[in-house]
Amino acid sequence: MTTLAPTLDAASTMSSPLLEVRDLHVRFGAVHAVRGVSFDVRRGEVLGIVGESGSGKSVTSNAIMGLLPDRTLIEGSITFEGQELVGLSDGAMSRLRGARLSMVFQDPMSSLNPVLTVGAQLIEAIRIHRPLSKAHARAEAVALLEVVGIPDAQQRIDQYPHEFSGGMRQRAVIAIAMANRPDVIIADEPTTALDVTVQAQVLEALDQARKHVNAALILVTHDMGVIAGHADRVLVMYGGRVVERGDVDEVFERSRMPYTRGLLASIPRIDQRDAPLRPIPGAPPSPATLTGRSCPFAARCAFAQDVCTSVEPALLDVGAEDEARPLATHAAACHFARHPEIVRADLPTVPEVPAGGGRGSEVLLAVVDLVQRYEAKDRAGRRRSVVAVDGVSFTIRAGETLGLVGESGCGKSSAARAVTRLQEMTGGTVHVRGRDLAAARGRELTSMRRQIQMVFQDPFSSLDPRMSVAAVIGEALALAGVPRRARAERVAQLLRDVGLSEEMAERYPHEFSGGQRQRIGIARALATDPDVVVLDEPVSALDVSVQAGVVNLLARLQAERGLGYLFVAHDLAVVAHISDRIAVMYLGRIVEIGGRDEVFDDPAHPYTKALLSAIPIPDPKVERSRQAITLRGDMPSPSDRPSGCAFRSRCPVFASLLDDERRKRCERDDPELEPTSTSRDVACHFPNLTREVQHA
Amino acid sequence: MLRFAIRRFAIAAPMLFIASFVMFMMVAFSGDPMSRYRSMDPPPPPEAIASIERQLGLDQPVLVRYWNWLTGIFRGDFGASVANVDIGAELGARMLVSFRLIVLAVLIAAVVAIVVGVISAMRQSGAIDNVVSTLVFIALALPVFWVGVLLKYAAIEFNEAAGTTVFYTVGDGTSSGAAGLELVGFLALPTIVLVINQFASWSRYVRSSMIEVLSADYMRLARAKGLTKGRAVVRHGLRNALMPFVTIVALDFSALVGGAIVSESIFQWRGMGDLLLNGIRNLDVHVVMAWLLVFATATIVLNLLADLVYGVLDPRIRTA
Repeated sequence: MTTLAPTLDAASTMSSPLLEVRDLHVRFGAVHAVRGVSFDVRRGEVLGIVGESGSGKSVTSNAIMGLLPDRTLIEGSITFEGQELVGLSDGAMSRLRGARLSMVFQDPMSSLNPVLTVGAQLIEAIRIHRPLSKAHARAEAVALLEVVGIPDAQQRIDQYPHEFSGGMRQRAVIAIAMANRPDVIIADEPTTALDVTVQAQVLEALDQARKHVNAALILVTHDMGVIAGHADRVLVMYGGRVVERGDVDEVFERSRMPYTRGLLASIPRIDQRDAPLRPIPGAPPSPATLTGRSCPFAARCAFAQDVCTSVEPALLDVGAEDEARPLATHAAACHFARHPEIVRADLPTVPEVPAGGGRGSEVLLAVVDLVQRYEAKDRAGRRRSVVAVDGVSFTIRAGETLGLVGESGCGKSSAARAVTRLQEMTGGTVHVRGRDLAAARGRELTSMRRQIQMVFQDPFSSLDPRMSVAAVIGEALALAGVPRRARAERVAQLLRDVGLSEEMAERYPHEFSGGQRQRIGIARALATDPDVVVLDEPVSALDVSVQAGVVNLLARLQAERGLGYLFVAHDLAVVAHISDRIAVMYLGRIVEIGGRDEVFDDPAHPYTKALLSAIPIPDPKVERSRQAITLRGDMPSPSDRPSGCAFRSRCPVFASLLDDERRKRCERDDPELEPTSTSRDVACHFPNLTREVQHA
Repeated sequence: MLRFAIRRFAIAAPMLFIASFVMFMMVAFSGDPMSRYRSMDPPPPPEAIASIERQLGLDQPVLVRYWNWLTGIFRGDFGASVANVDIGAELGARMLVSFRLIVLAVLIAAVVAIVVGVISAMRQSGAIDNVVSTLVFIALALPVFWVGVLLKYAAIEFNEAAGTTVFYTVGDGTSSGAAGLELVGFLALPTIVLVINQFASWSRYVRSSMIEVLSADYMRLARAKGLTKGRAVVRHGLRNALMPFVTIVALDFSALVGGAIVSESIFQWRGMGDLLLNGIRNLDVHVVMAWLLVFATATIVLNLLADLVYGVLDPRIRTA
């Protein structure tokens, strides 16, 4: 460190902190959402703030922007270039917002005003702070859109938000954020609502924007992978406080906070597919329940001792001290932060799920040429049929999981709904244990519904709020023909099976956390003793630390019962962890299907390869050395499918590795799924070229 | 957009036809318009009654009468009236009187509703909102006829106290040839009655849709750009919040006409309300039908207009 001191000094005199937050407290009535947060940010720096729901990370960023509701009580200090922001009037704050401090929000689908053109909103952002003529501002707006990578900016500037895809909208929001060369950009979960390939593009655009205007970036996210790849320093927030801070490498490799360690151990990684996931028990605390008299993490902590439940620990410095930047020193809010023998001890092992347990050779689910068509109206009001699922075939054996992955709109959820006949399929056949589901009617259909059950994405809206848990599960038991007097016992058994206690049977859904609700959803699905369970994004609505528990539960139930799983998800890391085989969908078709390791280690379809390269890995060393293959643009709409191979409009092989002669083949012939080995099929004319795709 | 308008009209035409048929039958079968002649003492000679019946076409079967009426409409002939008035001419004069009232009331009620609703929403659950909301609920609870009568008596007292007629409480002013400021004196009370009844419910719609808009992400972005709260509401909030309101105004047109009829009769206006009430009293089919035709056409045109305005406000509809 000492040898570096002169350069550090030079750097710090050049840039004193732009933004300093000291002992920030935010209260909404009785709820103490942020409890004493301090940090600072310098020009050119990327500060990551990572945390789960209720950690206070978004409240902190909105407090800096002065965007919290009027009656919020804010204490402490936020200074920007020496100017105190807490208590500043809305008028004075407005002069800073958008000019010196700007923000990118989570959901690009709703953060642009739907009734104004993208250009009008961007031009407004410029003209609020600078007295430019409309023509001049417009020219600048076009240039901004080009910087963030919007093609044909000159034309697209006059379009409305609904004419932009999600990724495009987020780029437009980033353009608005950088419009007046701000000093600090706060990005609050900027890519959470986006697909992974689009996430890679948007993070790159954000990086471009930051460098272009030489701003500091505060990157708020729940995704450790995004932090690993993009942040210089990180704050880990939990229960309204910073529980660990420091250099990204320090925190990821030498964490002194059991929560951070637990979080990292609970996240599935595509590069460590067989490593067991270690869930953190329980759920993140709600800010309303925090007392300040104990460590907020104590109840979930593997190393907790008596002191943890009686005294809330302060942030303790554990790293090499940097006098110029005391708030940059690695620190952790744990009583034992300075006792590596305690906080660095091995995390408790999780009970191993027997590999391949319950696996049999019997085909439980056989889907052949499944087609799902919707009637929709296009922009001109003409009726068009949109083919959401276009001839999909696969089988699932006992004890086997098929992971069905792809970007939003690829048809994976439509396929899941058609397979369970929650939606009538347009064509194709589905056989469950040899019985034809598509042809089943009346009583036979009812009996077949018991065999194939579904777990839904959103545990908050998929349970009837006015039915107790016993009623929810009991209803499914009644369908399965369990006599009334036997039901209470079966409900209790099912609750125990999914890791809940039987006393919870009389409670209502709102009394449970997200992870618990999803367990109730799983218990409901299992009530009919099904052969196949279709899991439609079963963990994507859950907090990261809770996901692992649900994934492990699913694996255990499968091993015990020999269930066949169709696991539909956009998160390839989760899918990689639980699946035996993988099917990748693009525009309604499976483009690659095969054994998990074969597909992940040596993808044969360029789309699979691009998807895999875009998934961030929560390890700074690994992540910085990786380069995503950036796919151009977005998935086309199923209603105007390109001729020949539908992927060619975005295909890196097509774009850079083919001569005109071979390109013609992609333009003319629609590739069929063909085996490249005994256990893998690929729909690509030139699967051998996929290996040569360079990471851009 | 044009296709959309044409389609709406195409749907409206058969609707209008069915409504007219049902209405015609209901009035025709609800009694004998000649009964007041028959009950005269001494009764007029049967030949005289038969002659009036022939004149009015009442001697023909009801379906034929409907057919004659329907074909007459296309020739601009509204048919003969029991009360022996020229329905077409009468309609013209009375429409002017009534529409003046309704249009004025709609405009004032809408403006007041927007102002009250937006202020309420921006100060949600604050002191201003609580006071305003209480007043609005009182206004909602007041029946039109009651407020009307009350206002009428209050105005009479006021006029006596002032020693001159500020508010006219009888008539619509057209027969006495009132114009300009004097006309305002005639219009004031009935308009106030209608406005009180209508702005209250409308302001609740504006309030709730504004509250929804205020928490929208694009409002947060608008403020993150550097707009103050007030400017963000004016530039980004209003248009979004008023989109559903446009539809509400059009849908409430019928209720407003109902209120206008009551209001007109309290202040003894010779408007559309008076025409309808007399028509019903006399079992005068053609008068009721003429009234219905005007009312139904106005409703359809207004709803179409609302859809078009919605399209102008919301680009997502425009392209659909």
